[in-house]
Amino acid sequence: MNNEWLNNLRSRMDDHEEEVPEGLWDDIKGELFSEEENNSIPGFIPQVHEGGAGKKERTIGKGQKSLFYRIGGIAAAITLLFLLMKILPQNDTEKILSHKPEGVKKDDKNSLQPIETEQVSGSEVQSQADAFLAENIVKTEDPKEGLTQSYSAPGKKNEIGNIQDIIKLPTASEAFQQESKIAQKVSPVDDTVKEPVIENNVDEVLFEQEKIKEVYAENTKSSTRKSRDKKSWMLGLLTGNIASNSAEQQFPGYASITGKVMNVEQVWTTSVYHDDPLMAILLANQSQPVEARIRHKVPVTFGLSVYYNLGKRWGIGTGLNYTKLSTELHSGSDNNYIKGDQTVHYLGIPVQVNYNVIQKGRFTGYITGGALVEKPISGNITTTYVVDDQIKESSKERLEPKPLQFSVNTAVGFQLKLIDKVGIYAEPGIGYHFKEENAPNTIYKEKPLHFNMKFGIRVLLD
Amino acid sequence: MEESKEQILVKHLLKKEEAAWKELFGAYSRNLTYVCSRYLAEKEDVHDVLQNSFIKMFRSIESFEYRGNGSLKAWMTRITVNESLKHIKQKGDFKSAIEVDDLPDMPNEEEPDFEEIPRDDIMMMIRSLPEGYRTVFNLFVFEKKSHKEIAGVLGIAENSSASQFHRAKGLLVQKIKEFKMSKKAQYE
Repeated sequence: MNNEWLNNLRSRMDDHEEEVPEGLWDDIKGELFSEEENNSIPGFIPQVHEGGAGKKERTIGKGQKSLFYRIGGIAAAITLLFLLMKILPQNDTEKILSHKPEGVKKDDKNSLQPIETEQVSGSEVQSQADAFLAENIVKTEDPKEGLTQSYSAPGKKNEIGNIQDIIKLPTASEAFQQESKIAQKVSPVDDTVKEPVIENNVDEVLFEQEKIKEVYAENTKSSTRKSRDKKSWMLGLLTGNIASNSAEQQFPGYASITGKVMNVEQVWTTSVYHDDPLMAILLANQSQPVEARIRHKVPVTFGLSVYYNLGKRWGIGTGLNYTKLSTELHSGSDNNYIKGDQTVHYLGIPVQVNYNVIQKGRFTGYITGGALVEKPISGNITTTYVVDDQIKESSKERLEPKPLQFSVNTAVGFQLKLIDKVGIYAEPGIGYHFKEENAPNTIYKEKPLHFNMKFGIRVLLD
Repeated sequence: MEESKEQILVKHLLKKEEAAWKELFGAYSRNLTYVCSRYLAEKEDVHDVLQNSFIKMFRSIESFEYRGNGSLKAWMTRITVNESLKHIKQKGDFKSAIEVDDLPDMPNEEEPDFEEIPRDDIMMMIRSLPEGYRTVFNLFVFEKKSHKEIAGVLGIAENSSASQFHRAKGLLVQKIKEFKMSKKAQYE
């Protein structure tokens, strides 16, 4: 068969163009860049969807709707975030869920925004956490009040930025704006490398009686009932970045993720055979300056905590924390390099002692100190060899060993009672992580002493 | 290695930047409109399918792999063709239209000669083909699919695809003749 006419026709028509239907771009834009954060995120939970519109009306219209609702909502949001990140062991997640079915039902509305933010911002965990927290802060109070308070607080530049962004969300008509903002947020957060204090913690408390019973057997139940003024349990849900002074290490030459500089011998012995990707990188970079950068990302912490008031002045607390530490390695030149991603998941149990120094009306000032034991529950390193911007080889290995990590911390706290049983607090403090030689190279190791700032909400349970 | 323009654009597309997507639209939408119009006769359908195609690209840009210059266009074209086919199938009457075996066979074995026909008129001719013929013709000619592949994609028999194509070809030969006649008539 003679196919010449086919080829002729093909090449003739190859770059042919037709008039684009009118208004097509506007429709696409409408579909992609305004809907994106309101609805129609693929894989999104449909229930939460519907809440979106409702939620906006609520926040705008009725700022003072029951606080309980909001707290429930935030709790639900945190729970959902947990689920999304699939970071907690199964049973833990379930526990949290079963504690708060009410919260979830009552108000998926509030939970919508944070999750969406996450969807949009994609991979950058810290930025979403920030945005998420910022929003929580805003939500828990009257919106305006929240903003001004945050403004006045020192050393919180980042949050302010986030809050501004978030506040704009519901009003911004052009969705894309928001999206780009969230994308940009990544960089401000990265900037925090140099800023000493930024960090967010939201403590959330839930008041379902069931929960206390469940978690803390019968004997506590009776005591709580008897002396509700003196001794009361507080249950908190905490989330945040425990220290956002994320760190960066730089070396000339090549390095491995443990921070050890590879020496020439090591470099050359590792590349015995020919198609070793490392060899390829070394060859490609022969005449180029190379350096290694190790960047520790801001730790992200979530937790569940319980406080018990011992008398008027003293209180103790414990709970369960989850922390995720990520570290990135970039070793080589811009186009030929070794890329390493290390992620370590910690589960920790804090023990905290609070002493109330001053109590005046709605205001309480206290000092707190405590210790935290953390166990890396899992960790892995993904190593990717990139030659000429193309991935040559990628391997994943588990991280061993995983020694326990001890740390101590102390902080000064201020708590302001909002209504009867609900208070907000801020705790600037310092923490120190004891050096553990065997531990993976994380921010804990790189910056053992760090400032941190926690914010939260506390609800008294009786 | 220097990054090509296409790669840079893809980077921005991945970040879901509106400006990048607008640029993509500006650069390729006219060609894609042509691709789409080959399959769909109705203007409104073209609009809808293109819209869906771009949304699909937006959602699946992560899966795009750069394989040299032009791979982005090829990827976009693939998506558009798939969306067009999906649309044709959804309309439902597709199968019945294509499985018509009782049409008289075109007697001529002539090849259509598009040489002197303006491109817009070629488009008109292709678009005026019955839907089934048109689909097979497009897939065979422009997407370079074999009859076996076409049969698989459209859910028809392989020889059915071949005969559809044969008839489409015959119809086009006829149309070209008519076209030339009318041109001639104009000049006389």
